[in-house]
Amino acid sequence: MTSTFERLGAILAKDYRIESETLQLDARLESLGIDSLGAVELLWSVEEAFGIQLPHEPVPLATVGDVVDYIDAQVAAQAIAGSGQVLA
Amino acid sequence: MRRVAVTGIGVVSPLGNSAAEVARNALAGRSGIRRLERPFASRLAAPLAATADFDGTDQFDPARLRMLDRFTLLALAAARQAMADARHDPAAGDGRRAGVFVGSGMGGSQSMDEGYRTLYGEGSDRIKPFTVLMGMHNAAAAWIGIENGLRGPNLTYSTACSSSAVAIGEAWLRVAGGSLDLALAGGAEAPLSCGSIKAWEALHTLAAIDAAAPPASCKPFSRNRSGMVLGEGAAMLVLEPLDAALARGAPVHGEVIGYGLSNDASHITQPSVEGQADAMRAALASAGLAPAAIDAINAHGTGTQANDAAETASIKAVFGARAHRIPISATKAMHGHLLGAAGALEGVLALLAMQQRVAWPTLHLLEPDPACDLDYVPNTARLGVPARTMLSNSFAFGGSNAVLVLRAAD
Repeated sequence: MTSTFERLGAILAKDYRIESETLQLDARLESLGIDSLGAVELLWSVEEAFGIQLPHEPVPLATVGDVVDYIDAQVAAQAIAGSGQVLA
Repeated sequence: MRRVAVTGIGVVSPLGNSAAEVARNALAGRSGIRRLERPFASRLAAPLAATADFDGTDQFDPARLRMLDRFTLLALAAARQAMADARHDPAAGDGRRAGVFVGSGMGGSQSMDEGYRTLYGEGSDRIKPFTVLMGMHNAAAAWIGIENGLRGPNLTYSTACSSSAVAIGEAWLRVAGGSLDLALAGGAEAPLSCGSIKAWEALHTLAAIDAAAPPASCKPFSRNRSGMVLGEGAAMLVLEPLDAALARGAPVHGEVIGYGLSNDASHITQPSVEGQADAMRAALASAGLAPAAIDAINAHGTGTQANDAAETASIKAVFGARAHRIPISATKAMHGHLLGAAGALEGVLALLAMQQRVAWPTLHLLEPDPACDLDYVPNTARLGVPARTMLSNSFAFGGSNAVLVLRAAD
């Protein structure tokens, strides 16, 4: 199964021409040319790719690893919420 | 007042993507109007447009392109050209004394159109995150300021079809008056979305398609004219004090020497002869010129029944009997109506006409109209026209008229 990191790398490769082969979890978003405004767009693309809805509140995301953790947490939270709905 | 030189010209338009290309095509009397090839074209009564052949992918990285509405993309590309043409070093000079003046009638309307389609057409709540930044009218001016480090006034004018004539005029006032040493001024428009074209169509202002020859659909001053054809593009000028331009050895394409404004204050669409004449007189007064000093005119000349008859009458009102001896070019038959960018593109064409000693043709003028009986330079360019001083007319829905007075370089 493709990891969150790999899927995020694919978005970065497509939208920001960042080579996913050399991408590191501790790479800072700003060093990749993604400032706070760029992060807004990145999270929008993440929502599309992962089929999740992220909270509107801004979250501090400094590194690629932060984004991966954030996605995983949101996917898990929404999976629980979703299964809850199914059970109900 | 200081003399103000035009030291840089940038154009992205249906007539070409450089001043040289535009001049070549205008001289040959080519029309940039085409049958519109878009998925929504079948929904249009007259699928016509004048498109600019430019997608920006060779000049802008994808992340930047995703932030730019098409009107901003065209404006930025024209501004880059103009700055390069002026050989202006962005690091030189005081950025706080350098301003940006952009006219646009519809701003980032394509981005708004796309957002609305997502919302209402597709029933999705997922609007693209940069929709506000792309749709806002001042996006083009903002990006031009950012790219070039221009930290003085950053202004956007929206007076419909006179927007960019206003932008150039307001920039001229500031450079001439001494409050700025450099201005990037012009206009940009990208109105070729389904929503925008349908809105213009609903107003019954667009030309019927000439089935035999779609590029000939816009026929200014011809009796069988049926309206305008929408076009997209941008034109930007670098303005600076003439003495400073000469001191640094910059190219001088001509001068802006006057600018006049008036308001019809009568009807939201019907042009007023009096209002148009007032703008021409105001422009002459600001240049300190009598009507006899004007050698040629770039007309507003949209190809609508109402405009072309009113403009003919207003030119007669200002110039009297001499009106019949002034070459008048309606270049919109070639490049379409660029709305808020029209005044800037036509200002560029006026400067190029004087440089090349030509009067551009008014294409497709095959049926004389008794209500339009002046010298419109019909169908083919006229060579050897020794014009030194020209008016460029821009009149607008809403009644806000703007006229520029332009002079050839010494």
